Amino acid sequence: MTSAVAHGDYVDDRRWPTPALLGLIASAGFAAAGCSLVLALKNDVIGRDVGEPLVIALLSVWVTVSYILCGLLAWWHRPASRFGPLMIAAGFANFLASLAWAANDVVFTFGQALDLLPPVLFLHVFLAFPTGRLQGRFECALVLTAYVTAIGGELVRMTFGYFGPQNLLEITENLQAAQAATRVQLGLVSAYCLAGVGILIARRLRTGRPHRRTLTLLAEAFGLALVMIALLLVSASWGGPAVQQIRWATFAALSLAPVAFLIAFLDSHLARSSVGDLFVELQTDPAPTDLRDALARALGDPSLTLAYWLPDYGCYADIDGRRIEIPGPDSGRAITLIDQGSSQVAVLLHDPALDNEPELLAAVTAAAGIAIENGRLHAELRARLAELSASRARIIEVGQRERQRLERNLHDGAQQRLIALSLELSALEDRLADDPAARASLDQARREIATTLEELRAVARGLHPAVVSGHGLEIALEQLGVHAPVPVTLTVDIDGRLPEALEVAAYYLVSESLTNVGKHANARSATVLVRRVGGEVVVEIVDNGAGGADEELGTGLRGLADRVEALGGRLRIWSPDGGGTRVRAEIPCVP
Amino acid sequence: MRAVIAEDSVLLREGLARLLSENGLDVVGSCETADDLLLKVRSYSPDVAVVDIRLPPTHNDEGMQAALEIRAEHPSVGVLVLSQYVEVGLAMKLLADSADGAGYLLKDRISDVKDFIDAVQRVAEGGSAIDPIIVSTLLSRHRSDDPLAQLTPREREVLELMAEGRSNQGIADKLVISVRAVEKYVSSIFGKLGLPSGATDSRRVLAVLLYLRS
Repeated sequence: MTSAVAHGDYVDDRRWPTPALLGLIASAGFAAAGCSLVLALKNDVIGRDVGEPLVIALLSVWVTVSYILCGLLAWWHRPASRFGPLMIAAGFANFLASLAWAANDVVFTFGQALDLLPPVLFLHVFLAFPTGRLQGRFECALVLTAYVTAIGGELVRMTFGYFGPQNLLEITENLQAAQAATRVQLGLVSAYCLAGVGILIARRLRTGRPHRRTLTLLAEAFGLALVMIALLLVSASWGGPAVQQIRWATFAALSLAPVAFLIAFLDSHLARSSVGDLFVELQTDPAPTDLRDALARALGDPSLTLAYWLPDYGCYADIDGRRIEIPGPDSGRAITLIDQGSSQVAVLLHDPALDNEPELLAAVTAAAGIAIENGRLHAELRARLAELSASRARIIEVGQRERQRLERNLHDGAQQRLIALSLELSALEDRLADDPAARASLDQARREIATTLEELRAVARGLHPAVVSGHGLEIALEQLGVHAPVPVTLTVDIDGRLPEALEVAAYYLVSESLTNVGKHANARSATVLVRRVGGEVVVEIVDNGAGGADEELGTGLRGLADRVEALGGRLRIWSPDGGGTRVRAEIPCVP
Repeated sequence: MRAVIAEDSVLLREGLARLLSENGLDVVGSCETADDLLLKVRSYSPDVAVVDIRLPPTHNDEGMQAALEIRAEHPSVGVLVLSQYVEVGLAMKLLADSADGAGYLLKDRISDVKDFIDAVQRVAEGGSAIDPIIVSTLLSRHRSDDPLAQLTPREREVLELMAEGRSNQGIADKLVISVRAVEKYVSSIFGKLGLPSGATDSRRVLAVLLYLRS
């Protein structure tokens, strides 16, 4: 049910190495190591050139054996990856280079020609981790050039008679030319190794720290080995100090890499036991809301993102239905699709290093199958709810705007005109001083206008409380308190203004609640409190009346609950019999 | 007596200007924005500025802000704020700590020419004019322990007119009683409510409003 996509790049034609083949290679590896050891101990040149024969021989043998064995382990475990065979090749190349310690001229010549092959193979191995393939043209070109330089340079040096009488490839003795070729060759190969370090650093910068510490250790072992090789080659070529110690240190650094590899391998094996924990966890709760965390624990990747596919919305979302953008291939995140039958359910966005553990990914996603499907349904539900509440907020917002516009029109239009008309009439009244009947009619007309204006004012206020928009909640609430049917203690503990929609909702809430106090509560007094509590504005209206207000405390309050909820808040009402009524709205508001 | 007017409706601005001119005031400037108003007040030092509470550009509280600024910066200029709604909170905000030269009336009042001109003149002379609705709202508000209940109906009428900013003479004219009678009612009211008597007209406006509001 899992398919790895994108960065993993696994080869499909799996070539399973048979146990016999693996055993054969292992035996050959041990034989080769033994051979190197014998050659080293019998060769006194090593003793003269590079110090204790035993030290260098043991280090070399360790490198050969450890690379071959680790390579076998990697190959057996991940037959599709070329990394195992590549490590095995590096081990054998190390052996072949040690043939230069042989007394036999032909064997010496062969071994000497391959002397610089191992460092380049190590470079290749380190860059090709974990898939066994180099990434991109630059890396391919770098490694290929390094091979050519290593072997070609060695052949040139041998042609010019370097390496003494055992060298069968000598055509003309020109030690000066040979020396120059040596410097060019060693200088270039060390430069390639440093470029390899650069590539490793660039990868780290691009993808961030690997999710497993052991993988960090491995990458650092690679980098250290490459730096040491470069240092060794440069100091050998230019005759720097302590070449011998540097050579030992280089071999030691090289032998660290397989150890780090083994640790990382065991670590990822241990990780697999976490799948068992996941199974147990999901058995008790088949639809945990923190499924992502459980998966992150099981995969050992704290950066994990679990994105559910919502087909109706054509997008990915988290458990709460919030949209998640799937990053592109260059983002340094790897993607694993999770399917249920033929339909897609979710994707995991994870550390690319997990691509190296497809079995773990497959086991974890299989274990979480039902839970993931449940999670997807949950995410879809939440997305629908969010959509619904957004559309409710929009409807209320549009309604509010429209009412505000109507109030403005009324204010600037009809109300102003009526006042102007009333003014005209009183001017007319003055001029009709000698016609009492006409004056009386005009007076009557002006009174009609005054009544109309009063009615219009009530209508306008019902449409939109302009005083709230104009002068803020506190001024508007004071007026409500003064008009209230019972004495009201008002406390508005807010600095400055709040978002208009919130102020309007709070105003209507207080207005409606105080009206209810007058209608049903039989209360002696009430308190109104508006203040910030954390990231919320709390509006609370409490009376000391009869309580027992039922749910249908008025369709007015139901509409207000809509308003409050549309702002992401909630409205609660407590009204125990004989215990007064408490209406409390909590509305989120960034300070 | 010199006046400036700030009102964004042309109809009303011209109506007001004509009304004030016909009643003996000298309208030295009229404008439709708060900035213009402040400029005219600075340039002409009028006795009174008549200001619509809702002025462009947002029609929120520009007029109110301009009124407060004039009160703070030019204490000699009376400010009469007109509005289509009157709010106790806004009245108290406008008065702040003094009712001298301050007025707050419902816009409808301009068609009661005599009362309106009287209010404009009071404000221009440093007195005050508070809309009857504000006063009656405050008087009618529910109190747990109400000393206003001790007032006689006549005393209540006097208290209302006093809170509107009228002088004893004004109250006497309005109720058609003698100034002496008014003085008697006033001292009785102040005694019953426990307020210090003997203040000027606008001082006692503030005292009464604060008392009613508390």
